[in-house]
Amino acid sequence: MRRQFNQRDPIYLQLIDYFREKLVSNQFKPGEELPSRREIARQFNINPNTVQRAFSEMEEMSWIYTEPHRPSRVTQNTELIQKIKKDFVRRAVETFVSSIQTIDISYEEVTELVEKELSKRNYPNGGIKK
Amino acid sequence: MIELIDVHKKYGRKKVLDGINFTVPKGEISTLIGVNGVGKTTILNHIMNLQPVTKGEILIDGEKHHPGIYDKVSFIPDAAITLPEMRIREAMDFMGSFYETWNKKRAEEMLGFFRLNKDDKIKTLSKGNVAKVNLLLGLALDVDYVLMDEPFSGIDIFTREQISEVFTSYLVENKGVLITTHEINEIEFIVDRAILMDEGKILREFNVEEIRETEGKSIIDIMRDVYSPYSDRISNYEFDKQ
Repeated sequence: MRRQFNQRDPIYLQLIDYFREKLVSNQFKPGEELPSRREIARQFNINPNTVQRAFSEMEEMSWIYTEPHRPSRVTQNTELIQKIKKDFVRRAVETFVSSIQTIDISYEEVTELVEKELSKRNYPNGGIKK
Repeated sequence: MIELIDVHKKYGRKKVLDGINFTVPKGEISTLIGVNGVGKTTILNHIMNLQPVTKGEILIDGEKHHPGIYDKVSFIPDAAITLPEMRIREAMDFMGSFYETWNKKRAEEMLGFFRLNKDDKIKTLSKGNVAKVNLLLGLALDVDYVLMDEPFSGIDIFTREQISEVFTSYLVENKGVLITTHEINEIEFIVDRAILMDEGKILREFNVEEIRETEGKSIIDIMRDVYSPYSDRISNYEFDKQ
């Protein structure tokens, strides 16, 4: 696995984005052990101090927690995870709305397109529920 | 930390280094960047006391150079350092009998890490494998600082990837690392600090994550700013015309 990082944005933020994606898509489960910082540095071929920085930030936000001499784990706070998911969707909606806001189209047409798009997909980890 | 304080070097009238100041902290990877001939290797030679400075001072953990420094700093040059007739294991034994800081266990581990065969003769190895042997010999010393001269130059892509893994591994953990390079792609995501040089001077020194955060720029962007200050104006001009 070699994730392509962007050279112009801080790598620790891109790494946090990566964890956010894993978290909101349930690929990281509550309480799950994370790989060590060094393992992540090796996997992505990035500076270990940068990985440390991302972990510190995520600890600060309580996404992960670390007990002494143990690997870090994903938070078990389901309320917090729910909030992260909602923020993630809100950001995606913001992007979506701002990219189509100059278009002359009715609300009904947009929702119809959204429905159509949804029906095309199959979500293994949940997906949008009616 | 290694400190260079106002280091000058002259060969006759030619100034090679013209007032160099920078530090190499422990636990970070610093990189000296510049085209060939700007004095990068000269700086490494000075840190190892392989040639005397004309003026200025180099301190290693606050101390001036003395023979004990060789137990603290290892130097990995970009050319073969062992006799070509030697086998890899003989070169390892040679290092082991010479340096008290030789870590035999780590050396053996690295043979696997680099996929080297210790019965091979140095003279039969490819350039990439010679570079790996150099890294093995330098990194198997239990030292606090590691200097590497052009670890990626003239080496194929897969070997480069293998070498770049060294920098994210335990092999350099907590050490102060200084590498010289003119190949940026390999190190963009690996280094903590970049020091840009030209004609014996330091033009700019920065923390790479900080620059991404405050200016949204990569190492290559900063190099463009520093080495060719007009390139920005030219590309903006072309963009405006469209």
